[in-house]
Amino acid sequence: MNDLEPQAVLSWVERFIARIDDRVQELTELDRRSGDGDFGTNMVTALTRAKAKLSPSPADAGAAFSSLSTAFLEHSGGTSGPLFGMWFREFALAGQGGPAFSTALLADAARNGVAAVRRLGSASVGDRTMVDAMAPAADALAEAAENDVPAVRALRLAAEAARAGADSTSSIIARRGRASYVGEAALGAPDPGAVAVALFFESADGS
Amino acid sequence: MAAHQLVNDPQELVGEALEGLELSQRGRLRWNRDPSFVIRADDRRPYKVGVLSGGGSGHEPLHTGFVGYGMLDAAVPGAVFASPTAIQIQAATEAVDDGRGVVHVVKNYTGDVLNFTIAAEISGDIRIETVLVDDDLATDTSVEGGPGRRGTAAVVAVEKICGAAAERGADLSTVATLGRRVAGNARTMSLALRACTHPGQSVPSFDLEAGQVEFGVGIHGERGVRQIPVAPADELVAALTEPVADDLGLSRGDAVFVIVNGLGSTHQLELLAAYRQVTRLLDARGVTVARQLVGSYVTALDMAGCSVTLIRADEELVGLWDDPVRTAALTW
Repeated sequence: MNDLEPQAVLSWVERFIARIDDRVQELTELDRRSGDGDFGTNMVTALTRAKAKLSPSPADAGAAFSSLSTAFLEHSGGTSGPLFGMWFREFALAGQGGPAFSTALLADAARNGVAAVRRLGSASVGDRTMVDAMAPAADALAEAAENDVPAVRALRLAAEAARAGADSTSSIIARRGRASYVGEAALGAPDPGAVAVALFFESADGS
Repeated sequence: MAAHQLVNDPQELVGEALEGLELSQRGRLRWNRDPSFVIRADDRRPYKVGVLSGGGSGHEPLHTGFVGYGMLDAAVPGAVFASPTAIQIQAATEAVDDGRGVVHVVKNYTGDVLNFTIAAEISGDIRIETVLVDDDLATDTSVEGGPGRRGTAAVVAVEKICGAAAERGADLSTVATLGRRVAGNARTMSLALRACTHPGQSVPSFDLEAGQVEFGVGIHGERGVRQIPVAPADELVAALTEPVADDLGLSRGDAVFVIVNGLGSTHQLELLAAYRQVTRLLDARGVTVARQLVGSYVTALDMAGCSVTLIRADEELVGLWDDPVRTAALTW
């Protein structure tokens, strides 16, 4: 059995919250170069809310993601907060009522998630936003699902793809999002939203 | 603490003001604390389309001051100049839905549009129609994929007309279509004589050089599109009114609603004098004033300045405008 059961999803979300907490300075610094410097603290505020909502014994595979989603939608943090809320919502909906996340289910969630963010944020790949990490991760999960790769291994591939996508934003001049106001001044540093997406997938690996 | 403001803790100001509004309305409305929204508590007619608006605080009396009979069923306030959250909007939408659906009146700002859109998506089975208000002529650029014109003072007319239609028993699409007709036929231009100062701060959001007026400002303390020299009121009012009338293509025989709106600290004495000049300019074009509002309705904290909004009027809209309304900031 390689699928991710509710407890494993909970651990993933807890590791993600801890990892963002550790990196808040770094994210804030990145946002200072491209935006108004409140990204890190907005993330931590939303994730602190999420942590308080997490059930120690989640009812289904989507429960922990549902707490994440609601916390982001409840916290007014520019445009990235609500968009993360809708991204996590697709993971919550995919796992709702289900016993575990298979690779196929993760691929569905990631595909629907990035579609929601693209639609609501009107951002495409190459605009220097969180989409630059979300889209390659979704593609990696779709490919893994096609090849029957087990969930844990599939998430490692998604993490690598998300990280590469996040790194690529260092050399993009923003067309969307906050960084579009500063143009070339943000070059050389990755987009903090994309970095957060990479951290999310990297947190799936508990080993 | 800056001595020019009545502020305890800037972080608490919005909540304290909402509590004060609730107390001052003596049971006519209720402030739901968490998630935060203001809702009618009078004997609301059942089975009516809900009319809901919201946006950042700092624009008072907008929107909470327009909650009541004949106008909004609820308003969702964000922090100062920040959109309310999707969860707040969703909760207010559920609270005002009688099963006939809810109209969302949304000023065109990225954060407001995003959070209202998300709220509509997560509100499940509730039927929602969105009326986007984008009357600000200063931001009328044709940038492809850009955010478009901002929403400003015309939102008051949209809320009034939608509220009246809903109160008459009109269905969801009728209320929304009327709202869109008002919004689509409305243009506004604004100027600032002094920038606004955020609660708890002592420095205005921008500095104006001596002898300059900031032309084409929005309602969030941002700079306008250009600076023009200080001039007598009639000239400044003409600079606001003429491009709006031109953009609407107003000609002899047309009728308009006029909103001369104070941005926060411009005195009624000045606004009334400004209104006089607007009527003279319209007279010269052969355009009649169907109805008017003169006062501070959509403000930017304590900004000094005003806006002029013109909206094409017709018999049906005038009838709805004249319907009774009973809110904290608008009553007839």
